[in-house]
Amino acid sequence: MREKVLHLKNVVKKFGGRTVVDIKDITFGTHGIEGLIGPNGAGKTTLISLITHKIGMDQGQILYYKNNKEIDISKKRLDEIARLGLVRTNQIIQDFASLSIRESLLLSLATSKDEQLYKIFNEKKFRKAAEQEINEYLEFFHFENPDGNALSAGEKKLLDIIRCMLLKPKFLLMDEPTSGLAQDQTDRVIEMMKTKTANNEMSILIVEHDLDLIWKVSENVFFMAEGEILIQGAPDEIRKNKTVISKYMGENYAQNK
Amino acid sequence: MEQLLSGYVIYSLAFLLIFISLATLLHLQFSLAGIVNFGVVGFWGLGMYSFSLLLVKGKVPFVLAVILACVITGIVSWILGRIILNLDDQAVLVGTLAFATIIEYLSTSEKWLTNGVMGLGTVNFPFNFGKKSLLVYSLILLVFTVLLMLYTYKLKKSPYGRLLLSISDNEKLSQSLGKSTFRQKNIFFTFTCALIGFFGAMAAPLYSFIFPRMIGSGVTFTIWIALMLGGRKRLFGGLIGVIATIGLFDYVIETVIPIPTQYAEIVPNIKFCVYGLMLILVLMFRPFGILGDKKMEIVK
Repeated sequence: MREKVLHLKNVVKKFGGRTVVDIKDITFGTHGIEGLIGPNGAGKTTLISLITHKIGMDQGQILYYKNNKEIDISKKRLDEIARLGLVRTNQIIQDFASLSIRESLLLSLATSKDEQLYKIFNEKKFRKAAEQEINEYLEFFHFENPDGNALSAGEKKLLDIIRCMLLKPKFLLMDEPTSGLAQDQTDRVIEMMKTKTANNEMSILIVEHDLDLIWKVSENVFFMAEGEILIQGAPDEIRKNKTVISKYMGENYAQNK
Repeated sequence: MEQLLSGYVIYSLAFLLIFISLATLLHLQFSLAGIVNFGVVGFWGLGMYSFSLLLVKGKVPFVLAVILACVITGIVSWILGRIILNLDDQAVLVGTLAFATIIEYLSTSEKWLTNGVMGLGTVNFPFNFGKKSLLVYSLILLVFTVLLMLYTYKLKKSPYGRLLLSISDNEKLSQSLGKSTFRQKNIFFTFTCALIGFFGAMAAPLYSFIFPRMIGSGVTFTIWIALMLGGRKRLFGGLIGVIATIGLFDYVIETVIPIPTQYAEIVPNIKFCVYGLMLILVLMFRPFGILGDKKMEIVK
């Protein structure tokens, strides 16, 4: 067990009259990799967007723990939260059309100190400093043409993940990171997730419909349905749980496994 | 030779430099940061008027007046940016257009300050080299234009350039990488608008008398058309575009083709018709302008 990273209290989000997310009291980050599963429309992506404040919540409080300090991030902006080390990857493909793969990664590495309108002469130095770190990822994932734009959906998805990794977050939320990826790339993503979370510096919460992946990588699984987190526990407990089977996996899946 | 250097040719080139700089600044705002500034002439006029007022009525030295004009334009655009820059593109367009209209109206209505339609002057060159004054002044303008081009070139390959591109591509994604996009957009907007104000101030001595009709929205449209025509994504898009529009029509055609005096009045109107037609043709057949889109070439 690790120290908790996130504490959600009474977090509620409504769209129209419908309650999409209603979390009473949940802590995240007590394990290296945690999984969040649930049927479509359970509110998983909305929950992630609420945590990183991509969308605002109607009520509730989200507390974030960093270096033994408690920070209330309920009112903070998306970019402030990212700078605190709380970052997400996207389910729907997001990309910068004007930037090549390498430029996109350089963008991620640049801090507000590098990004000044008068700093136009230290590009060479900046690239040199970033080169090794970026090349590690580019080689690991075998990008064909890092100086061109990301073309396929898979490349864009990987790029999204690497951009987040370069920020060296303390807590990474991954929203269906492997959907649309080839199996060998999925394996690489899993390998990277495991190495990055091996020490205590990063924890990951992963949302996936690929349940085999969830059972394989996560140490703790949350089951979400109709906006609430109903159950959490070790993967083996969750996959045998009656509620999870009836509401999500179905009898057949449970019997075949 | 002496006559040529003090005359119409140099005068035309000096104005071309001013408009090339404006188009390049618009390229920075629009293509890098995604700011749809339809009030270019507002910032230009604000710079021009505040400089001329300081110089003529306030007896402030030339260089100091230029600097103060930049500062004034910068402060005003920072406040405007705070209000409009986190709205969507259409709102920014309307907001900046409205701003330019306000500046134009104020320059007409506040007669106690600007002399209204009577005009404000005389704005002289900061030095007197006799007939060579215009030439020296144009060379100074050339230096500033080249510096601006160099800055644009370097900026696009710097971390700040990438940050701006990321904001105009996908602002939410940029925020999720920890970039404070609104703040950065406002800083860049302020900086570039102050520079537009700078070129407004620098244009004043070329006019020597400034009138409200000089800062009508036609200037904005001309610069936009020039940029779209030349290539909005390219460093030299503004330069090519300005030469192909203002350079070709205002100076070459008007000088070379003898127009009977009874038709002289309709020439400016025809000019705008031709600009519009050219713009439509360019957008139909080369949507990224004469110079095209760099990214598309790489993909090929």
